[in-house]
Amino acid sequence: MDYSNLWRQIFSMKKSLFDQGYLDEQYNQLEELQDDSSPNFVEEVVALFFKDSSRLLTNIEQALEKYPQDFYRLDSLVHQFKGSGSSIGALRMKNECSMFKAHCNDRNLEGCRRSLQKMKREHATLKQKLETYFQLLRQVGPRERAVNSRK
Amino acid sequence: MKNLEVLCCFFMASKKQGSATRALVVEDIKVDCVILLRILRQLNCEATVAHNGKEAVDLFLEGKTFDIIFFDKDMPLMNSPEAVTKIRSMGATEVKMVGVSADFGGMEAFMRAGADMFVPKPMKFETVDSMLQEVISKKNMSG
Repeated sequence: MDYSNLWRQIFSMKKSLFDQGYLDEQYNQLEELQDDSSPNFVEEVVALFFKDSSRLLTNIEQALEKYPQDFYRLDSLVHQFKGSGSSIGALRMKNECSMFKAHCNDRNLEGCRRSLQKMKREHATLKQKLETYFQLLRQVGPRERAVNSRK
Repeated sequence: MKNLEVLCCFFMASKKQGSATRALVVEDIKVDCVILLRILRQLNCEATVAHNGKEAVDLFLEGKTFDIIFFDKDMPLMNSPEAVTKIRSMGATEVKMVGVSADFGGMEAFMRAGADMFVPKPMKFETVDSMLQEVISKKNMSG
C-alpha cells in the first residue's frame, strides 16, 4: 500500500492543529513517550482525557448553576481541567481555563458562563479533530507509524 | 491500558549501585498520573501511586521509603502541602519532594510546607530526567 499520500494528510492535519493553536509542544512530548511496547499510548491518553474532561465540564456546569455560586469550588474544578488539558498539549483549552479562573477570582458569574461555553466548544472541536487524526493514523498501522517516526 | 487502581508498578531495575530510583506519584487525575508513570518507566524508575495525600502519608507510616515524591497540589482527603508537612515531620528529610500544579498558584504553599521544588504542569521528560539524575548522584555520593 502506498502510504505517502496518507502520510501527507496526517502531517498536514497535525501541522494545522499546531498552526491554529489547538495543540502545543506538549503533544509532541506525548508522541515521544510512545514506543513499540505502547504503540497507541497517545490515542489512549487522549481518549482518557476526553472521558474525564467531559465529566468535569458537566460538574463545572452544575456548579455554575448552583446558588449561591461557590467560586472556590469552580476554580478548583477548572484548575483540574487546566492541568490535564495542558498535559496533552490542548493549548486553546488551557488558555480558556486561565480566563475562567480569572473570572472566578473576580467572582464574575457571567464571565464564567461565557468561558464555560467557549471551553465546551473548544473541547468538542478538538475532540472531533483528534478523532479524525487518529483515524488516519490507524490506517497506517503501528508498524508503519514506528518506521516513519524514526525518519 | 493498565488498570489505574493498581497502587504499585514495578519497572526495570538497576542503576549504578544496583537499586532503581524509587518514586512515589501522588496524583488523582488519571491523565496526569498515566503520563508521569510513563516518563518514569522510560527512565527506569520504580514507581508507586497514591491517589491522595493521606495514602501518601500512610505509605510512610507503613515504613515505605522513596527517593523522590511528585505531589499534585489539590488532592481529596488530604491536600499535598499538608502531606508534605506530615511526611517531613516523620523524619523523611532526605527524600526529594516535588510539588506539581497547573500553574504557579500552589508554589508558595508547597515550599512553605517543606518541598524541595515546584514544577508547573505539564511535566516534561527532560525535567523529570534532570531531577532523577540529581537524586541518583546524591545516592551514589552517600554510598
